[in-house]
Amino acid sequence: MNHLKWAGALAGAFLVAGAAGAAEPLVSAEWLQDNLDNPDVRVFEVSVDTGVYERGHIPGAVHLDWHTELVDPTRRDIASREEFEAKLRDAGITGDTQIVLYGDNNNWFAAWGAWVFDVYGIEVSLLDGGRKLWEAQGLPLDTNVRDYADSDITLPERNGDLRARLTDVLDIAEGRLAAKLVDIRSNDEYTGKIFAPEGVKELAVRAGHIPTAENVPWGTIVQEDGTFKSPEEIKAIYAAKGIDGSQPIVTYCRIGERSSHTWFALKRILGYDAKNYDGSWTEYGNAVGVPVVNVAGTVWTGK
Amino acid sequence: MSLPLSRTALPAALLVVIAAWAWLLQGQSGGRDLAFSLLAGAAFGIVLQRGRFCFLCNFRDFIERREPRGLIAIIVALAAGVLLYHVVTMAWVPTPRPGRLPPNAHIGPVGPVLAVAAFAFGLGMAISGSCLSAHFYRLGEGSPTSPFALVGAAAGFLLGFLSWNPLFSLAIYASPAIWLPHQLGYTGTILASLGLLAVLAVLVLRFANPASATAEARFDLSGIAARVFVERWPPVVAGFLVAVISAMAFLRVAPLGVTAELGSIVRTAGFSAGLLPDTLHGLDLLRGCATVVKETLLSPNGLFVIGLVLASFAAALAAGQFKPQRPTGAQIVRGLCGGILMGWGAMTGLGCTVGVLLSGIHAGALSGWVFLAFCTLGVWLGLLAMRRIAA
Repeated sequence: MNHLKWAGALAGAFLVAGAAGAAEPLVSAEWLQDNLDNPDVRVFEVSVDTGVYERGHIPGAVHLDWHTELVDPTRRDIASREEFEAKLRDAGITGDTQIVLYGDNNNWFAAWGAWVFDVYGIEVSLLDGGRKLWEAQGLPLDTNVRDYADSDITLPERNGDLRARLTDVLDIAEGRLAAKLVDIRSNDEYTGKIFAPEGVKELAVRAGHIPTAENVPWGTIVQEDGTFKSPEEIKAIYAAKGIDGSQPIVTYCRIGERSSHTWFALKRILGYDAKNYDGSWTEYGNAVGVPVVNVAGTVWTGK
Repeated sequence: MSLPLSRTALPAALLVVIAAWAWLLQGQSGGRDLAFSLLAGAAFGIVLQRGRFCFLCNFRDFIERREPRGLIAIIVALAAGVLLYHVVTMAWVPTPRPGRLPPNAHIGPVGPVLAVAAFAFGLGMAISGSCLSAHFYRLGEGSPTSPFALVGAAAGFLLGFLSWNPLFSLAIYASPAIWLPHQLGYTGTILASLGLLAVLAVLVLRFANPASATAEARFDLSGIAARVFVERWPPVVAGFLVAVISAMAFLRVAPLGVTAELGSIVRTAGFSAGLLPDTLHGLDLLRGCATVVKETLLSPNGLFVIGLVLASFAAALAAGQFKPQRPTGAQIVRGLCGGILMGWGAMTGLGCTVGVLLSGIHAGALSGWVFLAFCTLGVWLGLLAMRRIAA
């Protein structure tokens, strides 16, 4: 009897330890409000618009500048392990810290930040609804920038299982790999009617989508207030397009940042095997000799 | 004391309309910035009108009559603004490392194009009789020249957009955006700015005409009412209020500027009419009173300008200074010509006396000082030329 009790306790301990390591995909504004002063919680803001963080952010939140701290500014790549590690050390992140990301524009870039964190082995949570919800509920903002005590966290090498490259996507497009592609851009971009939304500067020389990709615009899975729809609803939306998790999934958009939002829903909320193709259409649509599906027949610079 | 309704009820009603509109705007998405901009513009319009805060007029008063108060107001505005702005920038950017700039601050490219743009703007100011922000507040006073100056400015903006690409390839691409704290640190920037402004103040006062002393004012209701609503506000008060509005706007929404909306309207209309090239190289990456292709009808800058004009109208009415006149031929020509020069200068210089000079110097941008120097040169030569022509 004693041995069984021991075994049970040990099994229980493992379960608890395992649960503590995994982070909840979404946290609510109420929860975050209650945990603002919790020293084991660290909030990061990843906003697109300039000056938004400085003019008012969730109290205690650290600024993660997508422009310079999530990317390599010279070569097209995500931040190097050394740079990202330095940033996290400066923010006082340890192995026990529960990290929450949020941002403007419906958490687009916060989701992308979440993907970068995951590539470096750290699962974070997103504040459901982001800045929009926090502001709409009149919750406190502050301009104070806190200086946290440095930590000595070390990051592992990048996890390639979360990132799709051009070769992987070509394998799927040309039928050598059984997987699903999800194009999260607008239908006009997917069909090739337009190259990119008006005023956008990151363009491709060809329009259309990757062969076999399904179109589920990113906005389909969020509600009016910026929060994600329920897991059941999201599951049904993708199942309707034949995406049910039975095969690995690769998400892409124009520049690979918004597609992280959908990646987050598929991988973290639904638990499917999903990768983000961060080269996205600006890489694929500019690559020489790759197959493209252009339903609208738009020819570049031609009518 | 019986004043007509146009001097009491009408201005009050205008202010109520502005307040009500701001309250309504709050509810929209992005409404807080819109409401704040409207109110900040109204405050700015009142201060400009009551303080007669016009860069050109103040300079001309000093040159022609050795009247120092206007220039002192400007110097106080610049000095106080530098301090208040630094309270904000030092919080947002604790260490001025290379590559880091305070978000949205008007730190523009410094080069030959800026110098020429500022000079052209100064000439335009001298010819049309005011700078662009003053033309906006003068609309509230019923100025006959101002509408034409603004139309001219729109045309000038179009010319500016058309000349942008060649100018960019020629010089602007290589003109660095110099933020003084990078070179001098925050302390050095504050000391240098205040030091230079102190020197200018001393020079102005040294050459001032001492005969313009004010009489001792009555400190009762009618005396104070006259001082607040009718007489020109003291220079230190006007200057300090301008500085406060500038720093608050920067803290809440964006640095002050009056040409972004005008320029954006011209840019959007120009694109739709096919008059402008497809791409304006590098324009959207530069800091300043930025023009965009408009997506919404209302923008913070648009509401700022509307608030400015409406509130200055209210202030002018209350002061009995709303004096609309029929424009003469000469006023129309001067307005248009001066306006075109100012519009071109504001487009290629990425702002005007408010957007580049005021907001730039406040933020510690070298572009602000360069604009100040060359604009003053343009104003001075322009005034000389106007006197020659008149003689």
